[in-house]
Amino acid sequence: MAAPAWTDTAPSASAVVLIAIFGALAGIVMVAMAMTNPELHQPGMRAMLACWITIPYIAAGVVAWKQKPASKLGLLMVIAGFATFPNFLVWSANDLLFTIGTATQLLPPVLFLHVFLSFPSGRLGSRLDRGVVWAAYGAAALAVPAILLGLGAPRNVLALAAAPSWADFLQSLQLLVLSGLMLLGIGLLIRTRRRNGPPLRVSMTLLVDAFSLGLLMVAALLMAGWLEWSAFLDPLRHTTFSVVGLAPIVFLIGLLQAHLGRAWVGELLVSPDTEPGPVELQEAVARALRDPSARLAYWLPEVGSYSDVDGRLVEAHPGVGRSETPIMRRGVPVAMLHYSADLEDEPALVGAVAAAAGMVIHNAALQVELRSRLEELRGSRARIVEAEDRERRRLERNLHDGAQQRLVALALELSTLGELVSSDEVLRTRVDAASSEVAASLAELRDLARGIHPAGVSDHGLAVALESLATRASVPVRIVGVTDERLPEHVELAAYFLVCEGLANIARHAGATSAVIELKREGSNLLVDVTDDGVGGANRAGGTGIRGLADRVETLGGHLQVWSPPGEGTRLSAMIPCV
Amino acid sequence: MIAEDSVLLREGLARLLTEHGIEVTGTAGTADKLLVLVDGDEPDVVIVDIRLPPTHTDEGMRAAVEIRAEHPGVGVLVLSQYVEVGLAMQLLGDSADGAGYLLKDRVANVNDFIDAVHRVANGGSAIDASIVSALIAKQRHRDPIDRLTPREREVLELMAQGRSNQGIADEFVITLRAVEKYVSNIFSKLDMPSTGSDSKRVLAVLLYLRG
Repeated sequence: MAAPAWTDTAPSASAVVLIAIFGALAGIVMVAMAMTNPELHQPGMRAMLACWITIPYIAAGVVAWKQKPASKLGLLMVIAGFATFPNFLVWSANDLLFTIGTATQLLPPVLFLHVFLSFPSGRLGSRLDRGVVWAAYGAAALAVPAILLGLGAPRNVLALAAAPSWADFLQSLQLLVLSGLMLLGIGLLIRTRRRNGPPLRVSMTLLVDAFSLGLLMVAALLMAGWLEWSAFLDPLRHTTFSVVGLAPIVFLIGLLQAHLGRAWVGELLVSPDTEPGPVELQEAVARALRDPSARLAYWLPEVGSYSDVDGRLVEAHPGVGRSETPIMRRGVPVAMLHYSADLEDEPALVGAVAAAAGMVIHNAALQVELRSRLEELRGSRARIVEAEDRERRRLERNLHDGAQQRLVALALELSTLGELVSSDEVLRTRVDAASSEVAASLAELRDLARGIHPAGVSDHGLAVALESLATRASVPVRIVGVTDERLPEHVELAAYFLVCEGLANIARHAGATSAVIELKREGSNLLVDVTDDGVGGANRAGGTGIRGLADRVETLGGHLQVWSPPGEGTRLSAMIPCV
Repeated sequence: MIAEDSVLLREGLARLLTEHGIEVTGTAGTADKLLVLVDGDEPDVVIVDIRLPPTHTDEGMRAAVEIRAEHPGVGVLVLSQYVEVGLAMQLLGDSADGAGYLLKDRVANVNDFIDAVHRVANGGSAIDASIVSALIAKQRHRDPIDRLTPREREVLELMAQGRSNQGIADEFVITLRAVEKYVSNIFSKLDMPSTGSDSKRVLAVLLYLRG
């Protein structure tokens, strides 16, 4: 996309010199007119502000034109700067020049609007943008009939008729329409910003703010002119000019930063002995692009997908308001550089950053590959635990809905049968024996189902399930900090199994007389402690139960600690993230 | 009125109740349908399976708690494949009047089950023996539970299940006066006020045992 734009030529050296000479001349003429005009109030100040809103546009325009010939913005700024000069001819002693100045009075605000809305490409993007700008030029052109009808009499030398009320009406109309269009322009700037997502580069934000503020001040000035608030007119004009002149300065700073960005690219290459890690490289790239949102997506050939710096898989395409450029190493794409679409007008910078990154990316790419494998391992452990839980839950549900229900129905049937045959002692005894068998089967099945999956946890939550555990425990258990709040099922199950294991260990070897279960929320984590006052000396490597628990907890991104000095009891402590 | 999603069991229960002179005014396979039925025509007692569609987790429990709140005159007997102390306390809330929570298997013990249905329908309570015995077992080595005589402990269990003094007398084949003597001994050993109805003492004893 950017390639054909490169053929647009930059201004030649002689063109730049010519622009400089004409600009300087125009400035000198303008200052001279202001200083020799006896009627002008504060001539020095007026001349300075006139220079402030013309020269910076021309200067910034030339710099932009040279740096980014692909963008028409530089040229447009130069034209806008020069086209602003004629309106200052109203300071001239010559009546013809004065008339020309009067006719071009309202041209500058339209030029500013045009420049602001065509940022950064130099072209008006949407039909709405074009409509607003052309309507503004149309409103400015109303100056021609106004002059012909005698605006600016008696010095107007081009008047064909003397209809001052019509001329005044036309001028009022101009002011009103233009101030409305300026406000519309602010709306369009805001719309563009919204559409492109949050502004990603500070200089860009500042610039759009400067544009919006400029348009707002121009609108206010035009309104003040329409309402003929002569008292406010001068201070308002000074403020507006100051703000409008600020925009090209901010723009220049942005251009300068682009140069600084290239300096950061250089920094990437300074010490080739110590290649940066994935995070450092991403930070360096973001710094070089002046885009804090810049991200590197590393290509993992074995997985056939992209990964972020932490080894998590990401989309190859970065989404709305974002652009992408491949990073090549020895001619092979190794990563994608994702950055704000705002940077599309700086293809040279992006290209340089991508090229520099390609030279030092090897180490980072290896690290990311390793991280992605670890991440994959963690993910597959989590999936295994999850699948097992799901399967166990399904089994328990099947037992409950199938065998258990049928056995209960059978028990019911048998007891009814028992009543029917109560007169026959022998039959009655046999039916009763069958009933006891069914009751025993039900009890066994219940224990089996409970062992497969603790339905109480899933169905009713930790509070209910832990109380039942504590009631069945071998020693008195105190439960602290349990609430009715429901947590994700895998978190509740992990906490439940931890308490189960803790209480089972206490029953087996702790020699304890009491235990405490403590639950605590810490941020988005659940902390579970099972503490007893037994003999201690347990260790994490010891029981398979504890090892399995640690696996489960670590799979969820948490960790398990066993604190068990001999003679001082045992504490199982788990931190489980609740996400 | 019965809410149970297993057709086999629902029909079996309905037949059992009818055979024992209890009129079944409606049956439902879901908690929502049960709530609609109860709103339309209040029965003396509803029998609710704790796991009902759609999620088969705690729909029945939530319906039971709701009926107890909205229709205080309706007894609620919850049946479950598992019994949990915490759930029993949730169901009772601050009163054991007209509340029952039994293991599903208990339906096979017809006489006891029918007795429990009657008790709950008449505003009494029926708490599963396994809950009570687990609670007592938990407290067994603690003073003053371990100062109770074995027979006193048995009486305490039946009391906590919601049985009346007459029911306890029938169970042990002893006189009503003897039961009253045991009961007053128990209350004085546990240092509890021995006042109120059968279901009031159920809640008091359960809260005491739960610690």
